[in-house]
Amino acid sequence: MADKNKQAADPSAHEHEHGAGRYVLIWAALLVFTLTTVITGRMDLGSANLPLALIIATIKATLVVLFFMHLWDSEGINRLVFGVALLFVLVLLAGVFGDLLTRMPDALPTGRHAHTLEGGDMPTTPALNPHGE
Amino acid sequence: MSSSDAAVHGHGGHDEHDSNPHLAHHFDSIATQNHASRLGMWLFLGTEVLLFAGLFLGYAVYRHFYHDTFRFASHTLNLTLGTVNTIVLISSSFTVAMAFNMVKKGNNKAAAGLLVFTILCALAFLCIKGFEYQHKFAEGALPGKWFTFEEMKGMPGANMFFTVYFLTTGLHAFHVIVGMAILMWVLKKVIKGQVDASYYIPVELGGLYWHLVDLVWIFLFPLLYLI
Amino acid sequence: MSQPADSAALTPPEAPAYQKINYLNADRGVMSWLKTLDHKRIGIMYFVSVLATFLLGGIFAMIVRLELTTPEPTIIGANTYNRMFTLHGMVMVFLFMIPAIPGVFGNFFIPLMVGAKDVAFPRLNLLSLYVYWTGAAIVLFGVITGGADSGWTFYAPYSTTTPMTLFPVLLGVFILGFSSILTGLNFIVTVHTLRAPGITWMKMPLFVWGIYATSIIQVLATPVIGLTTLLVGIEKVGGFGLFDPGRGGDPVLMQHLFWFYSHPAVYIMVLPAMSVMSEIVAAFARKNIFGYKMIAYSSLGIAFVGFFAWGHHMFVSGQSSFDGGAFAVISMLVGVFTAIKVFNWVGTMYRGAIYVSAPFLYLCGFLFFTVFGGMTGIALATLSPDVHWHDTYFVVAHFHFIMVGAVIMAFLAAIHYWFPKMFGKMYHEGWGMVGAAFIVLGFNATFIPQFLLGNAGMPRRYYMYPERFTALNVASTAGSSLLAIGFIIILIYLIYALIHGEVAGPNPWHSKGYEWRTSSPPIKENFEEILEYPEPPHTYQQPGEEVEHVVI
Repeated sequence: MADKNKQAADPSAHEHEHGAGRYVLIWAALLVFTLTTVITGRMDLGSANLPLALIIATIKATLVVLFFMHLWDSEGINRLVFGVALLFVLVLLAGVFGDLLTRMPDALPTGRHAHTLEGGDMPTTPALNPHGE
Repeated sequence: MSSSDAAVHGHGGHDEHDSNPHLAHHFDSIATQNHASRLGMWLFLGTEVLLFAGLFLGYAVYRHFYHDTFRFASHTLNLTLGTVNTIVLISSSFTVAMAFNMVKKGNNKAAAGLLVFTILCALAFLCIKGFEYQHKFAEGALPGKWFTFEEMKGMPGANMFFTVYFLTTGLHAFHVIVGMAILMWVLKKVIKGQVDASYYIPVELGGLYWHLVDLVWIFLFPLLYLI
Repeated sequence: MSQPADSAALTPPEAPAYQKINYLNADRGVMSWLKTLDHKRIGIMYFVSVLATFLLGGIFAMIVRLELTTPEPTIIGANTYNRMFTLHGMVMVFLFMIPAIPGVFGNFFIPLMVGAKDVAFPRLNLLSLYVYWTGAAIVLFGVITGGADSGWTFYAPYSTTTPMTLFPVLLGVFILGFSSILTGLNFIVTVHTLRAPGITWMKMPLFVWGIYATSIIQVLATPVIGLTTLLVGIEKVGGFGLFDPGRGGDPVLMQHLFWFYSHPAVYIMVLPAMSVMSEIVAAFARKNIFGYKMIAYSSLGIAFVGFFAWGHHMFVSGQSSFDGGAFAVISMLVGVFTAIKVFNWVGTMYRGAIYVSAPFLYLCGFLFFTVFGGMTGIALATLSPDVHWHDTYFVVAHFHFIMVGAVIMAFLAAIHYWFPKMFGKMYHEGWGMVGAAFIVLGFNATFIPQFLLGNAGMPRRYYMYPERFTALNVASTAGSSLLAIGFIIILIYLIYALIHGEVAGPNPWHSKGYEWRTSSPPIKENFEEILEYPEPPHTYQQPGEEVEHVVI
């Protein structure tokens, strides 16, 4: 018999050994963190509100990804895939904020010369090219 | 060079092909096939992460520009309903994980019950969201040119909050609906006994998709409702 | 056709000159094709589809070039002109360039090259084809019912406010994205899980490495263009104002989202082309590939770094000069990986036993155009000169050097190299070289004048231009006619070869690629027996051995 390429035993078969208890614990933890974020979220902590909310959300997400989605005992490539996807989200944010934070203020939507329309229709472009059809 | 008695199918996994009806002809073992299915699903989840990334970017950008307006606007959202929805989704994630666990233990009956509960949670989420949307329509707290929300009239970037709100929660709600359909498909398989302790990959993959829906909301909730 | 002694190890000794029962005729009837799960048949259907879309995109191009023959209105009105260049871009990019090499040759050859019987998810593969047809049909519907006039880049605010119905085209592009994602996902999983025993990562053919890197980009970047088309469509139809300054929005944000996909997209187009060339250079220089690992890793490098460079499309958009500078420097990095490949290909050819043929001529064209296209890319990435060149024909010439000069050369080379494997017949080499001559010369005549035009200041997407640019425009149009003639010649002799071509045999090129180790055309199950893979692909000599010329 030709030797197999990758006879990795099915990782989720191991799951069988961890009972339901693990999930209950994670669920309880998620509820606790939800409560925490609700309470701290509506408090006025100044500039700390956003980082705190993101940290709590990240902890909750990590628990879901690692344990409910079994990434904790899954194949390494799955972890790499998810990690790389998250990395590129950060790349997108970094590239755009690198622009926004360093742009000349008047070129921003909040610049001096910006004025906002109140309700009503979207503006349309004026008459088409005079050399038109 | 292989001997002449190598089968046309050409590999030693021939026995497993005979014994396991779920094994496709081009995979050498069910373990490899399951690994492939999982990897395929994680790649797909990666695409979903990148899809929502653009909307999270939109939120981040406009929150940066209109910080005070966004803070005010988030307080006009119904925190109770948002929190209930969060608990509903987290619990549905718990029950779908439990359902998977039950199938692996051979307890399809319990799994089916848990899946039904999960689907009901999804439905509840949509109903609550629908109720919230209805309220926004009544107030005129709508995106772009539809914005007529008196309470926030004149605030810079006011309509932008609701543009981002409707786009993110709308796309998320769409995924909840798709997730429900997938869970119903999985439920059918569980009830019909087409998945069991030896073959449970559809339940695993369906559950992964549902968890992603929960993950997106875990971030949306604080960003839209709290801060 | 004489076969040198070593080729006995390359192909099954019992392989007939022409495999009578093969994947093409194994099952009969139209439904057997439409419901097939055979990656080879799916590749053939992609082939026919992309040839049709290439023809359509080419027609739009010819209309643009004909209009530009004179500085005054020539054959169409201004608004029609806007639609012609927009549709040329959209059809070429989304309906041809993105799906072509992965969809046709990736599908056909990846399983053969990794010793597998099919891709990981054959049904998803068929679905990707159906999704492609659906998206393409919707785009075509949009073309017929008014089309788009915003340029293929559909920037807000024009795209969100133009009276033209952009919606069908945007919807079509959105759907096409899913086809791309499914293809990429399938290939990644195939490479990870279906490699035959003996084909380790470092013994994979370089074509597989290139397609693997391309697939990573397809999976990660395409969702963002999906979202962008969705947002522009919603803004257009629903007035949501996300990119509208009048509602507090930022139009440059749309460009960030658009180019976050569209820059990696150009690597979706070029990486497969480069990986085809890695296959061809070894086979037609009959020499071990120079620097296998570097070529493999540089594919991953391009895929990775390509994601960090998108802002070089936005130097004059209102983006901050700081961010612009950062993007400029990062963009240069990609040039390093491309240069690594060029040096390795040249290193492979050096002291090789060159077999001059159509694929080799396309390789020569490819090298020349990649170097010039790539270098002008670096020039454009240098922020300050780009302020002068942006939105001129200099940019147009640069990207056509890569998209036509590199990618189309590779596509044509791939067709000629793999034609005998796919169809069991050989094309007429004399006509092959005539066709290649028309293409290479026609390409130069079309696009070199455009560099000069752009540098002299002629803007792109303009309907009329100053008198003094007439001569170069006429030259460019004349060149495009040569290109058109070249493509027609190729189409004719290839169709002739399908019907009356000489039987090719399992390995007419005496190539060491793994895909040649089966019959021509391949049987439905790909391989007659389990193969072993003692040697890496692209290995033509053992250490110390001399290169060997062959007669084909």
